[in-house]
Amino acid sequence: MMLQLPTVQFTEAQEQFRLEVRTFLQEAITKGQFVPKCDSWLSGDDPAFSKLIGEKGWIGMTWPKKYGGQERSTIDRYILTEEFLAAGAPVAAHWFADRQTGPLLLRYGTEEQRAFFLPKIVKGECYFGIGLSEPNSGSDLASVSTRAEKVEGGWIVNGQKIWTSNAHLCHYMVTLVRTSPFDGKSKHAGLSQLIVDLSAPGITIVPIKFLTGEHHYNEVFFDNVFVPDNMVVGQIGNGWAQGLAELAFERSGPERILSTFPLLDELIQELKRQNNVEGLKQAAKIVARLWSLRNLSIGVAQLLESGNGDDVSIPAALVKALGTKFEQSIPEITRLLVQTYPTLDAQRKIDRYMAESILHAPGFTIRGGTSEVLYGVVAKGVVAQ
Amino acid sequence: MSEMKDMILDVVERMLKENVDKAAVDVVEQGKWSPKVWNLFVKNGIPIVAISEDNDGAGGDLDDLLNIVRLTGKYAAPIPFAETTLANYVLERANLQVVEGLTTYMLSADQAYTLADGKLTGTAVHVPWARHAQRFVTLAMGADGTHLIEIELSKASITQGANLASEPRDTVAFQDAPVAQVSTPLSPDELRMMTTLETAFRLALMTGAIDKINDLTIQYTKEREQFGRPIHRFQLVQQHIVHLAGETAIALAAFHNVTNALVRNTYSNEVAYARLRLEEAIQTVATIAHQVHAAIGTTHEHSLHQYTRRLWSWRDEGTSAAYWADIVATQLLEQSGDSLWAYITDTKIAKDVN
Repeated sequence: MMLQLPTVQFTEAQEQFRLEVRTFLQEAITKGQFVPKCDSWLSGDDPAFSKLIGEKGWIGMTWPKKYGGQERSTIDRYILTEEFLAAGAPVAAHWFADRQTGPLLLRYGTEEQRAFFLPKIVKGECYFGIGLSEPNSGSDLASVSTRAEKVEGGWIVNGQKIWTSNAHLCHYMVTLVRTSPFDGKSKHAGLSQLIVDLSAPGITIVPIKFLTGEHHYNEVFFDNVFVPDNMVVGQIGNGWAQGLAELAFERSGPERILSTFPLLDELIQELKRQNNVEGLKQAAKIVARLWSLRNLSIGVAQLLESGNGDDVSIPAALVKALGTKFEQSIPEITRLLVQTYPTLDAQRKIDRYMAESILHAPGFTIRGGTSEVLYGVVAKGVVAQ
Repeated sequence: MSEMKDMILDVVERMLKENVDKAAVDVVEQGKWSPKVWNLFVKNGIPIVAISEDNDGAGGDLDDLLNIVRLTGKYAAPIPFAETTLANYVLERANLQVVEGLTTYMLSADQAYTLADGKLTGTAVHVPWARHAQRFVTLAMGADGTHLIEIELSKASITQGANLASEPRDTVAFQDAPVAQVSTPLSPDELRMMTTLETAFRLALMTGAIDKINDLTIQYTKEREQFGRPIHRFQLVQQHIVHLAGETAIALAAFHNVTNALVRNTYSNEVAYARLRLEEAIQTVATIAHQVHAAIGTTHEHSLHQYTRRLWSWRDEGTSAAYWADIVATQLLEQSGDSLWAYITDTKIAKDVN
C-alpha cells in the first residue's frame, strides 16, 4: 500500500557512525571551522569545509569504490545528512553534486563521465548546479525553451536558466534543454540533459539577490555555448524521465524537515534555561511532529535502498509537502513560546536563528517543486490506486 | 516479527470484512451485545494469539497482536478485543494467570483503586465494556506499592455509560471485594510499561480507524460527481486528499515504529510521540473526511461517523497526550547539556526482552 512505508531500525554500527559524525562536527564548531546556521544546505557554502568532508569520505559515500565512493548504504548517508543539518553545517557547496548529480551519472551517465566527474565530486572539489527553471517555466517545467541544436561533435545551446542555486560557485550544471521542438501533444518528449561547463565561452552568470541581500541564486545565460557530445547525460530526448528519477532523492531527504532545526534546538535550550515546563510541553508536540515526519522520510530512504525506487515518487512528494510545512512553522511556534527579537547579526543565538528561519522560510515550500505541484502529484497518485 | 503474521492478518481482515457491517456496529450502539463476531474470533483462536504456548496460547508476539487490534479499529469491530487481549498480555507480563472470557481493564496512571488485605475498594469511570465482561484487570495502590490485580466483575457495582461513539463505558465500583489475583508491587519501570502498552493498544485502534476513514473518503471522491466530473478532479478537493493521505501515512508509520520498538524492547519515547501526534491527526482526519463527504457523511445511515465518533472518543480515553507531553517535558528539563538532537536520536539498545 502506497501510504505505508517501511520502518528502519538503525544498527549498532550506524549508531556509532552517527556519533562519529556528531563528534567531528562538534569539534569543527569548537575549532571555529564553521558557525552553525539555519538552512545551511542552501545558504552555507564553504568550499574549504566541503574539502574537509571529502577527506573524511563523506561525499558520495554510497557510490562505488572505483569512483572514490565508500559503497555505504543509503541509510548511512541519511544519518550523515541528518547530522550535518542538525548541526547547521555549511554543506551547500557540494550539496547538489552529492545528492543529485552523482546518482544521476551512476544511473544514466557514460563510463567516461563517471570516471571523470565522480572522483572530483567525492573530493569536495567539483560542484554542480541544477539548471531547470526558466523565467517562463517554473512549475510548468516541461515548457522549457532553452534549446540545443546539433552540430558537428556536439550541441549549441541558447537560452536562459533562472533560480540556479550557487551557480556562481559551481563548475558544471546539469541543464535541461529542448533538443527537438515543443510538441503540445507530448510535451515531455524532446527534452535532454546536458552537462554544461560553466566556464565555457558564451556563459554569463548574473546574481539574483535573495530578499536578505545575500547571493544564493542566479540567472545563467547561454549564448551559442558549445557542449560536446560526450557531455550528454543518458539519451537525447529522455531528459524528462531521467529528471523524474532524480526527484525521489531530491524530495524526501532530511533537508525537507530539518532546515530550521538549529532554531528548534535553541528554543528547547531557552525553555530549559527558563525552567518553563508549560513551554516544554508545547514543544513536546513539535518534537512529536518531527519524529513522525522523520519516520516517513527514513521510510522513503529505505525504499530507495531496497531498490523499490519506482514506488517511491508519490511518498517522496508527500514527505516534501509535509516536511517543508513543518520546518516553515518552527519560527512561528518559537515566537509564541519565547520572547525574541530577530536580526541576522544578533548576539543571542535564538534571535539570529529566528531571523535566518523567518527570512528563508518562504523558499522551503517553493524550491524543488512547489507544494501545489506536489499536492497534485500526491492526490492523483492516491486516487489512482 | 512472527512468520505467520501476514497470514493471520489476512484471515482476520477477511473475518472482519465479512462479518462487521454497519448493522453489526449499530447493535452495540443500542446497548446490546451481539456474540457473533466474538464467537468467531474465539473459534479461530484470535484472542489467544499473543498468549504464550506455556499458557495454552498461540505463541504469537506483540506485533501480531497490535496489528490485529489495528484491524479491529479499521472495521469498528463491536467487541472488546483490545481490552481482553491487553488484560491478558499484562497479566502474563506480571507473572499472573491469563483468564478466559470477556475481560476489560483500567490501567490509567492515576489509580482509582486501593488494595488492603487482598480486597479492592474504589471507583473507576469510563471502563470499556464492563457490563458485558466477566473479568477485570487494573492497578491498585496497596500499603507496599502499586499492584496489578485481576478480579471478577460480578463483585462490582456497575453503572452503565457510553462514549461519543455509543461504545459501553461504565463506572465500576468495588467495596472490599476479594481479588482473584494480585502481583508483587510493580517497579516504576513496570508501571511505565503498563501505561506504554495501554497507549500502544489505543494507538493501534486509532490507526485502524484513520486508515479506514482515508479509504472511505478517497473512494467517495471517485464516486461522487458534481459539475459533471468526480470531485477528486477539483484542486481544492485534491488538497483535502493530500492532507488526509499525509495524516494517514504519518499514523501508519507512527504505529509501525511503535510496535517495532516495543517488540525489540528498544522503545524510549515512541509511544509518547505517537500519542501526541495521533491526537493532532484525529482533528485533521475527522474534519477533512466530513468536509469531503459533505451532508451525506453527517447522517446516521452513512458509516463514516462510526469511525469519526470513535476517534473523537478514543483521543480522550486512556493515557492521553497531556500525560505524555508532561513526560517529555520533564525528560527534556532533566537532560543536562545535551542538544535536542541527541535526545531525539537516542536509541535504547535492547536488553531484557520480555
